[in-house]
Amino acid sequence: MSSPDAGRPQTSRLPAWLRRARRGRLRLAVTVLLVLFALLIPPLSGFYEQLNPDVSSKFYIFLGTSALVLALWSVSYNLMLGYTGMVSYAHAAYFGVGAYTVAFLFKRFQLPALEGLVLAPVVAAAVGLVTGLVALRAVRLYFSLLTLAISQLLFSIAFSWCTIGCDNGIHGIQLPDQLSDYTTLYYFVGAVVGIAMLIMFAVVRSPFGAALAAIRENRRRASAIGLNVKAYELTVFTLASLFAGLAGGLFAVFQQEAYPELLYWTNNAQPIVVALLGGTGAFLGPALGAFIYTVLDNAISKQFPYQFDVILGAIVLGVVLLVPGGVWDAPALLGALRARIRGGEDEEQQAESTGEAIRRIDVAKAVKAGAIESDAVPRGETLLRLDGLSKAFGGLQAVQSVSLQVKQGDRHAIIGPNGAGKSTLFDLITGRLKPDSGRVVFDGRDITGKPAHTIARSGIGRAFQITSIFPRLTVRQNLQYAMLANRGDTRRLLGWADRIHREDALELLDAVGLGAYADLPAGQLSHGDQRAIEIAISLALGSKLVLLDEPTAGMSPYETEKAMELVRRLATERGLTLLFCEHDMQVVFGTARTVTVMHLGRILTEGTPDQVRSDPEVQKVYLGVELEEAGA
Amino acid sequence: MSPGQLLLFAVGGLATAAYLFIVTAGLSLVFGALRIINMAHGSLYMIAAFVTVVVANRLGASFGFWTGLLLAVMLTGVIGAVIEILVLRRIYKEEHLVQLLGTYALSLVAAGAVRLFFGASYRTVRPPDIVSGSLNIGGFRYSGYAVFMIASAVLIAIGVYLLLYRTALGRNIRAAVSDPELLNVSGVNVSRLYTTVFVIGAGLAALGGAIVAPSQAVGASMDTDVLVLAFAISVIGGLGSIVGTAVGALIVGEVISFGLNNQYTNQFAIAFVFIIMAAVLTVRPWGLFGRPEQEL
Repeated sequence: MSSPDAGRPQTSRLPAWLRRARRGRLRLAVTVLLVLFALLIPPLSGFYEQLNPDVSSKFYIFLGTSALVLALWSVSYNLMLGYTGMVSYAHAAYFGVGAYTVAFLFKRFQLPALEGLVLAPVVAAAVGLVTGLVALRAVRLYFSLLTLAISQLLFSIAFSWCTIGCDNGIHGIQLPDQLSDYTTLYYFVGAVVGIAMLIMFAVVRSPFGAALAAIRENRRRASAIGLNVKAYELTVFTLASLFAGLAGGLFAVFQQEAYPELLYWTNNAQPIVVALLGGTGAFLGPALGAFIYTVLDNAISKQFPYQFDVILGAIVLGVVLLVPGGVWDAPALLGALRARIRGGEDEEQQAESTGEAIRRIDVAKAVKAGAIESDAVPRGETLLRLDGLSKAFGGLQAVQSVSLQVKQGDRHAIIGPNGAGKSTLFDLITGRLKPDSGRVVFDGRDITGKPAHTIARSGIGRAFQITSIFPRLTVRQNLQYAMLANRGDTRRLLGWADRIHREDALELLDAVGLGAYADLPAGQLSHGDQRAIEIAISLALGSKLVLLDEPTAGMSPYETEKAMELVRRLATERGLTLLFCEHDMQVVFGTARTVTVMHLGRILTEGTPDQVRSDPEVQKVYLGVELEEAGA
Repeated sequence: MSPGQLLLFAVGGLATAAYLFIVTAGLSLVFGALRIINMAHGSLYMIAAFVTVVVANRLGASFGFWTGLLLAVMLTGVIGAVIEILVLRRIYKEEHLVQLLGTYALSLVAAGAVRLFFGASYRTVRPPDIVSGSLNIGGFRYSGYAVFMIASAVLIAIGVYLLLYRTALGRNIRAAVSDPELLNVSGVNVSRLYTTVFVIGAGLAALGGAIVAPSQAVGASMDTDVLVLAFAISVIGGLGSIVGTAVGALIVGEVISFGLNNQYTNQFAIAFVFIIMAAVLTVRPWGLFGRPEQEL
């Protein structure tokens, strides 16, 4: 571009790094305060007892212990709720399983409580894995309802099975002598909770955690970048059960009992309320919530046992409707409010996306980008072959025995009026739909009916017709996580996701004109810029074959030309194979080397742009006057 | 088990199925049209049960029950309208997670409010005189009230059918179930339609609560008790399907009745319901009569 500042987004007064540092420092301060508070509870309680002889320091230390356990339980719940976007009503059941493990082994086999505590997470995770396999047969709502069924099932077992104490539960677990002192017990529980938190923190920052975030943001896109969504959900479900079991085991140790009501589904209110209250968006949000909840519970419920539920419900409702970020986000909210009252602009708003990213596309840079597939591919061989592919929806035959070959290195367009079956065909190729009959062979392998993530991993990238990105991840993370997923890094539970492939992602972002928005949430960008992200993701996958479903929908002629120049050059110089459908005939004939015409689910004809243009049947059935104009 | 006993348990199961059907029909209708799982549905049912008991015991005789029932349905309908307008409208566009949590919070508020107003102790009410007798068939005594519950459920089922398939409102509701976007552009006042549907759903919850009140102790935990069963039924039958709701309610009612009346299984009667639920969901995640949702 001639002038580097042209179209640059305006930034507010403070430089970005400073604003980030301020926010980061605030978070660090809250974290340090929280940890300090937790560490100082026993001495503070002792001090309080000296001031006021009526109170017992033991009581407050005991409250502190229960807050710690609640914190662990809620943070583990948030692995699902906040990090993956799953609402489970079975988390209390795994907590209960942990508690019962310690209690039962102690009562029946006189196993010391601490040894039981080691087994508690293992048993809970095993139960979580098995029941999770059932629950994850379903998605979203039905998943939540299934967890409810599982929870009730486990509750009835605990309630009715007299080997583990029926409705009475198990009481009278004894602590080892070293832990009989309240303060020692508190620090012991604190140490266990602290270690568990560190492990969970490492997990959410790992490439595995990145996959969870991708799933939370957009399941369809997650699967299209090559993530086996169900497998990740099952893993995080089991992992959450493991830590819930640990929390339950700690509960049995310090409360010295386990009883069936622990498993009842309404008991899930606790981790849910606590997580929401503290904030599901921050790792320690639920832990903060646990301490606030314990204080609230103790302050209000003793005096007003009936009002407590109303107040609690009102708080949750208020948080859900007004402060989705919970208490953790209160400072940011106050900042925004202050800015609004002052009439100044919101500090968070650091750059304004104008939808002009595509105008800033740097083709030369993109062609050199390391992220894009660069195998020297033999041209002319068949990369994708469709054999008699058919798909019907009820009575509607959307795709009817379509056979098609896409050659390596080709730029292949599929055109046809609305309802011709183009998007359905793409869904069949990428595994979003399973064909009724016919075969899909890609790169010599039969991929018919394979799951979407497998097909994505085997080298087919896709841009959806309706923009499908990860709205609350930053623009950089959108590309970076796509790379992580596609390069198989997301199975790793260790490592720092945001530091892996970062340079590759930034390079590609610069090349497609999005460099200035790297740290903005993708959902804040304008429609046109989100479109550029969508295309960039499908390129970031390093795919051999890129499917573009109406890539230039809603773009101006100039942007269209720019975007198509990018994909054209990538195809020629980097060996990408393109399969795209498009309504804009200028785009089609300017880019494609092969054109297939579809009509009512069937292939009408196929050939070079010139052959298709002059085919009288095509003109008659579909293109008509429009074609002559475009060809002029 | 003798045939007479079998019949007795079967009728008992039908009575359980009856009130569960009435309640779950409301849940299912709301889900079908509004695509929202109302975690506070059980609360509306509980409120209606309490109102019925209190009014019936205050006014006495048969008259009291019917007045209580009417008042309970009206009051719950108003509460439903307030909830829909003040809360639900803000969360239709949100992800299901927010909807689950939002209505869950409502149920917490309602549970607290009920305990505040009515206390934590159980209350009972006698069935109205007309249906309080019993029938003696083949040496077994059938409760007249159980027969009344079954008859009510049948009448309500017919009523819901007529509403859905014989009225303009029903046509719009069915349209909302099958294609909300199309309905939006067809000139129907969608927000009023949603309010109406939610009020009808609340009314069905209230009818269930009022009708069940004389047959069991009314207490502060009946909201969650009925909610899990209603979930089980709608999941077995398929969310959003009235026929599925009826079939699901029959299955659950009979399983509970036969399970409770057998000395070996009475501990596990409710567990059976959830085993069936898990089994159905594992094979057909969208339920027996439901339609599959697009998965990704």
